[in-house]
Amino acid sequence: MKHVITLNVNGDPYAIAVNPWQTLNEVLRENLNLTGVKLGCGEGDCGACTVIVDGRAVSSCLSLAVEMEGKKILTAEGLAPTGETLHPIQEAFIDKGAIQCGFCTCGMEMSALHLLTKNPSPTESEIRESIAGNLCRCTGYTKIVEAIGAAGEKMRESSERKSS
Amino acid sequence: MKEFSIVGKHVPRNDARAKATGTAVYTDDIKLPGMLHGRLLRSPFAHARIVGIDTSRAEALPGVKCVITGEDIPKVKYGNWRLFPETQDEYALAVDKVRFIGDEVAAVAAVDLDIAEEALGLIEVEYEELPGVFDIDSSIKEGHPVIHDYCPTNISVDRKIEYGDLEKAFAESDYVREDVFTVHPVSHAYLEPCSALAQCDLDGRITLWTSTQVPYIIQCLLASTLEMRENDVRVIKPFVGGGFGGKMELRAWEFCAAFMAKKTGKPVKFTLSRDEEFLAGRRRHGMKLYSKVGFKKDGTLTGKDFRVYLDGGAYNAMGPTATFLCGNFGAMLYRYPSYRYLGEHVYTNKPPASAMRGFGAPQAIFATETQMSIAAEELGMDPIELRMKNAQVSGDEITGFATISSCGFKEALEKVAEMSGWKEKRGNPKEGRGIGIGCYSFISGGAFNWFNTQYPYSAAEVRVFDDGTAHLLTMAADIGQGCDTALKQILAESLGLKMEDIRITSADTAMTPQADLGAWGSRLTLFNGNAVLDAAEKIKSKLYGAVSARFNMNVIHDFECKNGRVFPKGKPDRGLTFGEAVAMVQKAQRGEPLLAHGYYTPRDKGLVTPAFSFGAQVAEVEVDKKTGIVDVKKFWTAHDCGTVINPRAAEGQLEGSIQMGLGYALSEQFIMDGGKTLNTNFLDYKMPNAMDMPPSEVVHLDTYEPEGPMGAKEAGEGLAIPTAPAIAEAVFNATGYRCRDLPITPEKILKAIEESESEKGGSKSTMK
Amino acid sequence: MKRLSHFEYRVPKTVEEAIELLESGGPDARLMAGGTDLIMKMKLGAISPKFVISLKKISGLDAIAFSEKTGLTIGATALLADVATHPDILKHYPAVAEAARGTANVQVRNMGTVVGNLCNASPAADNAPTLLAMGATVHILGAGGKRDLPLDQFFQGPGRTALQGAEIVTAVSVPVPPPASGAAYLSLSARGKLDCTAVGAAAFVTMQNDVCGDLRLYIAACGPTPLRAPGAEEILRGKAPTDDLLEMAGRQACAEASPITDLRASADYRTKIIAVLASRAIKAAGKRALER
Repeated sequence: MKHVITLNVNGDPYAIAVNPWQTLNEVLRENLNLTGVKLGCGEGDCGACTVIVDGRAVSSCLSLAVEMEGKKILTAEGLAPTGETLHPIQEAFIDKGAIQCGFCTCGMEMSALHLLTKNPSPTESEIRESIAGNLCRCTGYTKIVEAIGAAGEKMRESSERKSS
Repeated sequence: MKEFSIVGKHVPRNDARAKATGTAVYTDDIKLPGMLHGRLLRSPFAHARIVGIDTSRAEALPGVKCVITGEDIPKVKYGNWRLFPETQDEYALAVDKVRFIGDEVAAVAAVDLDIAEEALGLIEVEYEELPGVFDIDSSIKEGHPVIHDYCPTNISVDRKIEYGDLEKAFAESDYVREDVFTVHPVSHAYLEPCSALAQCDLDGRITLWTSTQVPYIIQCLLASTLEMRENDVRVIKPFVGGGFGGKMELRAWEFCAAFMAKKTGKPVKFTLSRDEEFLAGRRRHGMKLYSKVGFKKDGTLTGKDFRVYLDGGAYNAMGPTATFLCGNFGAMLYRYPSYRYLGEHVYTNKPPASAMRGFGAPQAIFATETQMSIAAEELGMDPIELRMKNAQVSGDEITGFATISSCGFKEALEKVAEMSGWKEKRGNPKEGRGIGIGCYSFISGGAFNWFNTQYPYSAAEVRVFDDGTAHLLTMAADIGQGCDTALKQILAESLGLKMEDIRITSADTAMTPQADLGAWGSRLTLFNGNAVLDAAEKIKSKLYGAVSARFNMNVIHDFECKNGRVFPKGKPDRGLTFGEAVAMVQKAQRGEPLLAHGYYTPRDKGLVTPAFSFGAQVAEVEVDKKTGIVDVKKFWTAHDCGTVINPRAAEGQLEGSIQMGLGYALSEQFIMDGGKTLNTNFLDYKMPNAMDMPPSEVVHLDTYEPEGPMGAKEAGEGLAIPTAPAIAEAVFNATGYRCRDLPITPEKILKAIEESESEKGGSKSTMK
Repeated sequence: MKRLSHFEYRVPKTVEEAIELLESGGPDARLMAGGTDLIMKMKLGAISPKFVISLKKISGLDAIAFSEKTGLTIGATALLADVATHPDILKHYPAVAEAARGTANVQVRNMGTVVGNLCNASPAADNAPTLLAMGATVHILGAGGKRDLPLDQFFQGPGRTALQGAEIVTAVSVPVPPPASGAAYLSLSARGKLDCTAVGAAAFVTMQNDVCGDLRLYIAACGPTPLRAPGAEEILRGKAPTDDLLEMAGRQACAEASPITDLRASADYRTKIIAVLASRAIKAAGKRALER
């Protein structure tokens, strides 16, 4: 039996009929054509499919779509909704050279966002722990860690500007 | 160092924004109307005769549109070594026999993936199991089962190299060292699983989008296996999520997608699961290496006898190249007055080994470097001192196969010793700590024409426009390493334009110039860079002519393109803007568009490569002697890659190489039960994550390669080589455990500490 | 990529309703808390239930509660991530928080639950050894009513628990740690910092003037369930934990475990490591006890 779920993805409302066995990853990729959500292993080990559900980074390949009723979901496409100004995390990934093949990038950005939202000034080891569930075969993680640190700084500055 | 305006500067990748925003399209992201989804049925047996296949129940399943087996396809074998057709040993789907667990037996295309998967379960295959062989020794011993009928010895390829008088050299040596090394297979573990989508055109031609490093090779081999003409097949490489050598051959799903698209008239897409990638995917060659080296008392090398068996798995794949290159790499780094190599590629009933970052070098140089360190120990010399004494230098030549025009090896050794505090740390070892060195040399693209192509090795087309922009077309395959950006930088530098003035179209065999052997052997920067420069020079000579005529210049003046202008050297005010100059040329050509083709084919540079990179790396480790766990504290690297085109990209290559080298040394391995791969997921195939990575420092040495574009050569593949020997030597320094059998596991270390003697087994040395 | 087999999804609002669904579904029904283990097993084809009963919509089941009198209670759907960062747990049960934080990766901790980790009954489950050492109790509700079971009696074998028929673990609780007590969990995988545990050891110790009082030691991933090592405990009980005694206790712990060879380590290596981790865990727990 299909279930109709209503959910919000990147700020937009959707009502989708899903089979119980469909994963969130399948619905985002196959129904909503969101290419910022990758499928690298399907077993929760690589992190390429990471999305934010109600503020938490989760593996979309291990989440059932049917459980997403009423949830707010953010993917890499939602980081810079207008497409003009990029999110500080995206800017830092580009500037620091944190992107090579790019297959891990969107998932990394989601894990970075999860970290920086909860912990605006992470240490290097906190950054490394936060992306330990996101595998990368190209970069050795060095520039990704640098980018997340730099993005945190930028985000802190802009929130300080806003509050002052 | 020459001053450049764009080359050598930090320029962000041209695809970074697309990748950061999730809009970059990879093969599996592409959907076409009416598209079918394909799945492959794989052999559960390592070696078996196919008695019969019944596909009727699968075909009857509603939603299934096409089921094929080896019976249905043209009986055309393929393989990358077209120059030696007998090495082409693979059918896209097994015919008569399966040779490894995971060998492709049948394919299904259905309206959705769930149905395709269900249909696989309905295909009935009757097998007659045959005895299998799972290691080199049992594959070549008397009475072994034969894996391919054409090859009764199971040794499919051999390669010999010999120069100098080796027997004399050993006889005259003061010290001769003999060791046996074994190295294990590892996975490329690119993050994007393989995927291919084929569509049949109105006139029966095929378009294939595929996650590949070698679009031109796929085009040719797909054409031959489909019994079509090459130009009737178009291969497009979308964004590719890493390759590392694992995506450089025609593979079953690429053939099946195309064949089934022709058969059904509908687009067909195959995407592999991670489980399939690990179970049946290509891997780096496991090898058994016998090495004997001779020295004089003062440490001078006299010769080397190197005999290598490569565990090739069930098919040749890129094994012949690995066999060939392994012998070349065995002779690199140090000056061996005499050298003999015999490499033999052995079939076993395991997933085929193939190209993987370093391509024969990580194995050969692990043996070389470990043996150098053992020799230093026994000769009572510092390991770096012994290396300095024998290091290759600029101008060295190995007749017939290598000419070394630029070489920063000695500088690299000196630099890492200084950066790492080598003397101090080796001199005053702390309990549980150790420091070790590993070195490398690598090729800048392969010169041997095994693909037997009539085209140049790399080509470029440059079109320029009167709005001051240029369009670069190249078949170079950017698989994440960043060659699109590097080639744009080289063109922008040459034409005096900005990065944003250049549009690039790459890796589409119907659009981009013939030909290119693809992304492997670290060839793109040098080969394609030279092709781009060649085209740019042709454009510039036209522009110079136009500007010269326009200003009625004396013919003795030389010109340059800089800052978007074309002008006589030293007289920027006399010139035209780039766009104006293009317009002038077109006027003179009565409307003919201004474009130029460039190409590069290495000539008179030996059989191996036009240029070699060099480097050295030091690792410091701490070993917990109770658990055997190795904690790498830091890496220091100095490398000679010629002119650095893009510093961040070069650093990124190094950092990624270290991750791969660290995994190769310590944590990555296939756990096998006979022919079955047991660890088929990332939980148990353990590649280093962000927490596992130690800090690292790097220095790019200031060298200039005369054969390279703007002085550049190889930058990212050789670096995968030194890490394992550096860690192994550091572990020895810390514990006394000498690893001759990768990977270095805690269990081996504990055992060695317990036995507290390290010189054992198939090694011996004689000191006169 | 692997697709899930087909099933029906049920989402009860109360525990009672969940029990009814579980009873009517019989062996074809499976409970799902975070789902990280269940979905993986389904993807691997190890199980293909006809009904999946989600516990996520049962209100209050995700509660984490602490009182100085009754101790800590972790509800069935409380996430690993929340257990790892809960201020009361960090303060009073740092070893419980560490075990949760050491489980898998961020994404899994944001989905998976401590109770789910226990119910999955993997011998390598990261959260079991510490909770066992600290004397935790599981609270079970079934058609027949309520029962509490010491966690020590909960594990029956790999993937098997003491749950019978339509029973649900609603929470796990941990008593208030006595003064001058400490717990520690050490795990080791041979291949990297984030990996499936090859050997684990958890110790709980109360110290009286540098002498070990009450002591509990559990070894993980070296038997069909996490195993207690009473002989090793006995060596130290009432004694000062000198290096010699710790080493002896470690050796005794090896004798009390039954490691096997699998993908992650050989039996031989595991045996050696049990001794090392057991003595290091006791030492670390003792140090914590003295710091309190």
